[in-house]
Amino acid sequence: MTTAVLAPLADARPADGGAPARRAVVRWAWRLFRREWRQQFLILALIAVAVAATIVGSAVATNDPQPANFGFGTARDAVSFTTHDAHTASVIASLEHRFGRVELIEYETQSIPGSINTYQLRSQDPHGPFGGPMLSLVSGHFPSGADQVAVTSGVASAFHLRVGATWRVGGVERQVAGIVENPQSLLDEFALVTPGQVKNPTGVTALFDAPRVALSSIGNHAQTPASVAQSNPFNPETISLAALVLGMLLIALVSVGGFTVLAQRRLRSIGMLESTGATDRHVRLVISANGTVVGVVGAILGFVLGLVVWLAYRPSLEQSSHHVIGVLSLSWAVVVAAMVLAVVAAFIAASRPARAITKVPIVQALSGRPAAPRQIHRSALPGIVLLVLAFLLLGVSGGTNHGNGSGGAPELLFGLVLLVPGLILLAPFFLSLTARLGRGAPIATRLALRDLARYRARSGSALAAISVGVLVAVIVMLAAASRYGNVLDYAGPNLSSNQLAVHANTPPPAGTIERGPNGNQVVQQSTTTPETPTELATNAASIARALGAQLIALETPNAGLTGTHLGRQWNGAIYVATPQLLRAFGIKPSEIDPNADILSSRPGLSGVSGLGFDYASGGKYGPPQSNQSNQRCTAAAGCLAHPVIQEVGALPLGTSAPNTVITEHAMREFHITASTTNWLVQGSQPFTAAQISGAELAASTSQLSVEAKNDAPSSTAVTTWATIFGIVIALGVLGMSVGLVRSETASDLRTLAATGASSNTRRTLTAVTAGALGFLGALLGVVGGYIAMIGWLRSNSLNGGIAALGNIPIADLLLILIGMPAFAAVVGWLFAGREPAAMAHQAIE
Amino acid sequence: MSLLELHQISKSYGEGPTAVRALAEIDLSVDEGHLVAIMGPSGSGKSTLLTIAGSLEEPTSGEVAIDGASLRAMSRNDKARLRRRTIGYVFQDFNLLPGLTAAENVALPLELDGVSARKAHQAGLAALEQLGLADRAGRYPDQLSGGERQRVAIARSVVGERKVLLADEPSGALDSTNGEAVMRMILDACKRGVAAVVVTHDAHLASWADRVIFLRDGRAVDHVAPDLSDSSLATPRA
Repeated sequence: MTTAVLAPLADARPADGGAPARRAVVRWAWRLFRREWRQQFLILALIAVAVAATIVGSAVATNDPQPANFGFGTARDAVSFTTHDAHTASVIASLEHRFGRVELIEYETQSIPGSINTYQLRSQDPHGPFGGPMLSLVSGHFPSGADQVAVTSGVASAFHLRVGATWRVGGVERQVAGIVENPQSLLDEFALVTPGQVKNPTGVTALFDAPRVALSSIGNHAQTPASVAQSNPFNPETISLAALVLGMLLIALVSVGGFTVLAQRRLRSIGMLESTGATDRHVRLVISANGTVVGVVGAILGFVLGLVVWLAYRPSLEQSSHHVIGVLSLSWAVVVAAMVLAVVAAFIAASRPARAITKVPIVQALSGRPAAPRQIHRSALPGIVLLVLAFLLLGVSGGTNHGNGSGGAPELLFGLVLLVPGLILLAPFFLSLTARLGRGAPIATRLALRDLARYRARSGSALAAISVGVLVAVIVMLAAASRYGNVLDYAGPNLSSNQLAVHANTPPPAGTIERGPNGNQVVQQSTTTPETPTELATNAASIARALGAQLIALETPNAGLTGTHLGRQWNGAIYVATPQLLRAFGIKPSEIDPNADILSSRPGLSGVSGLGFDYASGGKYGPPQSNQSNQRCTAAAGCLAHPVIQEVGALPLGTSAPNTVITEHAMREFHITASTTNWLVQGSQPFTAAQISGAELAASTSQLSVEAKNDAPSSTAVTTWATIFGIVIALGVLGMSVGLVRSETASDLRTLAATGASSNTRRTLTAVTAGALGFLGALLGVVGGYIAMIGWLRSNSLNGGIAALGNIPIADLLLILIGMPAFAAVVGWLFAGREPAAMAHQAIE
Repeated sequence: MSLLELHQISKSYGEGPTAVRALAEIDLSVDEGHLVAIMGPSGSGKSTLLTIAGSLEEPTSGEVAIDGASLRAMSRNDKARLRRRTIGYVFQDFNLLPGLTAAENVALPLELDGVSARKAHQAGLAALEQLGLADRAGRYPDQLSGGERQRVAIARSVVGERKVLLADEPSGALDSTNGEAVMRMILDACKRGVAAVVVTHDAHLASWADRVIFLRDGRAVDHVAPDLSDSSLATPRA
């Protein structure tokens, strides 16, 4: 066998090898990823789930509300009228003259016999210039002549119609040509006829385009999709992106540990690469490229997963949101941002170990021995300084605008942002402290705590990630506790799902703009004759009857409560504790204190001092000042300073429900009168969306309005979800990092096993590692959360100052501080009994 | 012309009372086309001497010059370039990168040096072919036998314009047949003008060298020029 010197190669090569070298290194990184993707599965899974959750969450958040062009079709502007008279015609003619094409949709509200439900006889050109998105054909065809009609499936069902049937509607015998729907509102029930076929329209909507024309110059009643959307202060995409950034920060923190262990696992290969002539830059590229590959693969997997979940969930969302949602109606900006952030987070997470590994001497790398952990005496001072700064900034934020905190958004943001690096910098110090505290512990515990401190590159980032997750949860819990704990300015869901509140409307004066049945703004052109109380009660009763539910009349007294507690004033309606109302909630007269003036389900209301019972001015007396409450609330002024309040748990808790009522005893004693303008409809089962819609339509034909359960979460729901969030983040991080931390000390484990350590020792090592990391993370997160809330509330009078934190969610905090670490320790114990596979030697590549 | 020159090389590990002196004032010069064998008991500093000569490790004192260029003044990147272009290193346990095929492992120093993947691959294939491994070019290291792996490692160490070949017990993990074959390849490289240093425990293989240096406790205790008239050594040098 012979060899020959190979032909000399050209020397015009870049010093660092240029693109060919980078390609070679990236190719190798890709091959290694393919070989070792299982070791990176958890990071991949975290990234994929985060991207998928963001895609689905943002899609749901943006598609659940009515579409931005609801009621507008493709038009940029719309004006609606409640009559079609000469004035309306002249306005429409003026619009046509100024802006060209105007599409008219005329409608006439019709009752469905034997039902409280209604539908519209609607004339609209299916091929009109603007109304296309508001109309689609389900089957058959659109009406093409005066003798044809197309109906929605609801109308077809109510009148037992099918395509081809004959139906007399609007005084004309018509053939049903097709089944139609309004994709923007599946609750919109109508019978579609050709333009001009609605003889007595009760409303007209004019759609048109007035580009670059100020709304005010069109008229007071003009609307655009943008002007309607502006009323929504929350942008779902912004919220999704904010959550995504936080999620990716946590993932990056966790991934640092994963990539560090991966780099260590590849140490020998890295040494080989360096001995072959790779520069530091090439070595960094191997790890960074791996991180980027993990990010890209995670982002793609997340996109696919998110798309699949979205496609599966979209039909359900269509049903619950009552409008058609496009298959690919995703927030593409958020999708792209999520995928880019996933790659950036993985790249950043890999960069730190990439830099660190270039500092390992080549010979040591070739031996496969990791560098001995450096003895760093990291000071807690930088972390403490950042926490103090955060505390001060949050205090400044809370104290802005005379203590209501409404003007301190930048300080609030910077304060919260500073908390995160503060906790990250404190994490290694706490690990060292714990190791010192554990000096006298049994060997396995001592070793586990010492390893946590020695290998801070892994455990420090994991601890920081747990702390940040718990921090977010605790801030949400405490903010919810302080807000929901204020018994005067009561917050929470308005009603239960089996309740509807029916309110009598005050007839609007002429010219008032209201939302019409189509969702458009309707101009009230004429005054309406008010319905009598008897008529209103009859209509309310018919709504309850149609729902098969109980109707409870809510008498509103000309009296009310007044006062200030923890910076907030009394808020909410007060009704009369009529025998019917008490009976409806199962409260027996014998359960009521004969001296009680007020009954309330608001917890803690009876203990609030400074509350006044204003029986002379209908509750509009004004809040007494905290230092002179009794000066204003006097008998001479018609105010009882200390009413007797009895807390009755049987009363409903909703903010729109009768949670606080005046007893008949007080009514008599203070000569209070009352009137009935509100009713509570209470069923035995939660009302369906169709039932609520039917009730709303029925109310719209009268001078009533219906209030259904809103989406406001309860205190318990917010606290529970925050607790679950914190625990899931912490356990997820522990699941990833405990294995990584222990893998770094695998040689110690081999030594322990070889010297006779039993499985109990191995179990204890893992259990203590998981439990200690979990507990330290929870402790740091809780402390950080309290620092944030105390900092913000200490100068915030609107939210009651620090006293508002008196309502401590003890059970949830205990669950995070004790339950989560204990669970982690138990799981660690259960999974750590296996003997290490390579006890006698280290595996050679 | 001396391609590798070590002057008064010393190396200590650790500091203070725990310091260990691995090498003490070693001088070594290897000319073009010459093969030097280094022998000595375990812990005598053989491998340390080789890693210092190969720029993988810094000496505590002394100077290393490769092809006339002193390593002292070189940056880490310059040394990396030196390892890509001038020094070939063969390890006892092969040190082939997992995840790269035999051809890719051989072509790696060229690619790291900026040669296009296609040209580097061709050069790698040619090197493997000359070592009788053309049919193994697409195999991964874990699909090759020990002898094949070491031949791939030698191909990697000679591909390109290498002038210095350093081999740390290249036959240590091989049987005697494969060990001799490896030594023949190194000798072939020397015939082409490469200066080679081989660390070995095997006196028989060391006898193929132009010069043998014995190390003990980090010091060069003997320099021997094997008698090429010995019949047992005549064949390899022929």
